[in-house]
Amino acid sequence: MLGPDVAWYVALSGVLFGIGALGVLIRRNTLVVLLSLELMLNAGNLSLIALSRHFHNGAGQIFALAVMAVAASEVCVGLGLVVALNRRNLSLDVDTLSELRG
Amino acid sequence: MTGMTYGSWLCLLAPLAGTILILLGGSWLPRKFAAWTATTSVFVAFAGAIWAFLGVHSVHQSVCLGTAPCGSRGELTTAWTWLAVGHFSVPLQLLVDPLSTMMMLIVSGVGGLIVLYSIGYMEGDDEERRYFAYIAFFVFSMLMLVEGGNLLLLLVGWGLVGLSSYLLIGFWHDRPSAVAAAKKAFVMNAFGDATMALAFFIIIAHTSSLSFGTLNVQFSSTQSNLIALGLLGGAVAKSAQIPLQTWLPDAMEGPTPVSALIHAATMVTAGVYLIARTHPIFEQARTIELIAAGIGALTLLVAGLIALVQTDIKRVIAYSTMSQIGYMFLGVGVGGYANGMFHLMTHAFFKALLFMTAGLAIHALAGEQDIRNMRGLGKVMPFTKWCFLAGALALVGIPPFAGFFSKDPIIASTLDIGWYGYVFYACGLIGAFLTGLYTFRLWFLVFPGEPGPFVREHYHDHHGREGAWTMLVPVGILTVLATIGGWIQFPPHWDPITKWLAPVAPSLPDAIASSTQETVTSIVSVVIGLTGIAVAWAVYSERKIAIPAVPSVRRVLENKFYFDWLYERIFYVPAVETGNFLGREFEQPVVLQTGPDLGEGTLATGGLVRRIQTGLLRTYVLFIAAGAAAIVLAFLIAK
Repeated sequence: MLGPDVAWYVALSGVLFGIGALGVLIRRNTLVVLLSLELMLNAGNLSLIALSRHFHNGAGQIFALAVMAVAASEVCVGLGLVVALNRRNLSLDVDTLSELRG
Repeated sequence: MTGMTYGSWLCLLAPLAGTILILLGGSWLPRKFAAWTATTSVFVAFAGAIWAFLGVHSVHQSVCLGTAPCGSRGELTTAWTWLAVGHFSVPLQLLVDPLSTMMMLIVSGVGGLIVLYSIGYMEGDDEERRYFAYIAFFVFSMLMLVEGGNLLLLLVGWGLVGLSSYLLIGFWHDRPSAVAAAKKAFVMNAFGDATMALAFFIIIAHTSSLSFGTLNVQFSSTQSNLIALGLLGGAVAKSAQIPLQTWLPDAMEGPTPVSALIHAATMVTAGVYLIARTHPIFEQARTIELIAAGIGALTLLVAGLIALVQTDIKRVIAYSTMSQIGYMFLGVGVGGYANGMFHLMTHAFFKALLFMTAGLAIHALAGEQDIRNMRGLGKVMPFTKWCFLAGALALVGIPPFAGFFSKDPIIASTLDIGWYGYVFYACGLIGAFLTGLYTFRLWFLVFPGEPGPFVREHYHDHHGREGAWTMLVPVGILTVLATIGGWIQFPPHWDPITKWLAPVAPSLPDAIASSTQETVTSIVSVVIGLTGIAVAWAVYSERKIAIPAVPSVRRVLENKFYFDWLYERIFYVPAVETGNFLGREFEQPVVLQTGPDLGEGTLATGGLVRRIQTGLLRTYVLFIAAGAAAIVLAFLIAK
């Protein structure tokens, strides 16, 4: 089998996922939060594809395709929100958008 | 379909059509039109009844020639199948036979006269149209009861007369006492309806049919006793016999024509009709039938005693009605169905007459009903006076008035049935004395002498007459009937009614008195009735004998033998106490508190949980991440 062991891929996926999650948690800019979300989704894709190849099971790749579709739609909605916020001259800081506080 | 069936349908449906017309017309109809619609519809029903009677009569003549009992049970006409459940089906059918035509004639004939009388009596009332719709509906219900071709239709009529009685007792709905009386009558009648329904369930379980023919089936002794007891419960409640009698005096809260029609002439005698109609089952359960006779004997005494101390003119007559129905129960209870039905007929004449003359007096005195204020009324109302006298003599049973011919055979028929027959005989004779006493107490207190101050002050005539012609004409007709109505039967010499009813309800041989018994009883009871009148004259007119002052007895009578008091203690007070207890211990703490508690609990929980909802995106993400981590950890540990 060519290339690195599957463990490396999974490890890389974990690292990417962690970076994404930290980004969502720490950053305040809506755009960056969206970006971090994409990173998390793609971390998931990476491990799906790696494991799919490792187990010779095509289902993982199909899942990855589905995740991409979801990611595309999510970005659409997310960017739409960002544009709408910007048009109203509202702040893009996620911490100030807290009107749904109970 | 023959003539008699057309007649029966016409008789049944005419009052219903009248009711519907008045109800649909509402305030579009002139008042007079509503009144005359009701009257006409009932007279059309009477014409139908005559048609049916002639039909049955011709069958009777052609089939039943000679003296041998004939098997004709009349004709059943079926309109359609009303209920069908498995093997059990009830058609909508009418029965035209001698018994039902006799009742049809009484109900629609006397009913027509009383509705005519109401036109004058209710003149100027605010809700005349409602009154006439109700009264036509009552006549329809009563005809349904007597014409119903099976037990279920009989029960339908039975329930509908209870309903219309309730509506008419409470007609003046702004009087709390009238509303209370209506409810009381309805509840007590509902009790009787329930026992009848239970009896029907037993019949259905045994024969899976409710036609009158099934009553001839041989039931086991327990079954027949239970069925007869259930039917007797219905009869006792409807006919205001002990122990379900307390509603009838209170029912006098209704308009006087209602008292005359429903609570004297027709509805309250339905119990007698029921026993005569279902006599095969009562004959299988002879004990229960004799209990019915015993109840009648007891009621006629108790009601006669209570009537002695009443001061309301309508209540005196109401107790007299109970007492006379007691005689009818005694008559049918010992097996003399023709005697009971004959007394039912003459009683309808003279008791309707008494109520209607009382109504004339009440109407002329602006609603006064207390006999102590009516002294000397005869001077200003001579027509009323003489008509009342005819009714009173018929009630006491003085020949040649109607009551003489119908009451004495009932008393005489008790002699052959065993030792208790003698008890019944004694009760009947004491009752005859009481009847003379209380009837002529009323007479001597109200009519003779110079008008008292109240009468002089309040009497007002109707354009120079004692009442509107619509009131005077029916009173006149009923006076004639109360006088000569009894002449159609004078057992044992002349008994067309017994022969007429023989195909449907042949009297038991024991209950047919011999010639000697009849003669002796007639003489004795007339003498006793005259004694009662004489005592009333001595006590209340001449004041030669002081009213015996026995306060305890007087108190018992004025409290109507404490039946109301007893029922209040047994049923009303415990029910109220239970209700209060449950209200205090269950409703307040549990039912009423659960809702608010739930609401408050939800609010408090919400107050706690909403703190988690920060509105900050990052908090949510943290929770999600923490949750995911927890699941991963859980999987790891579980592995």
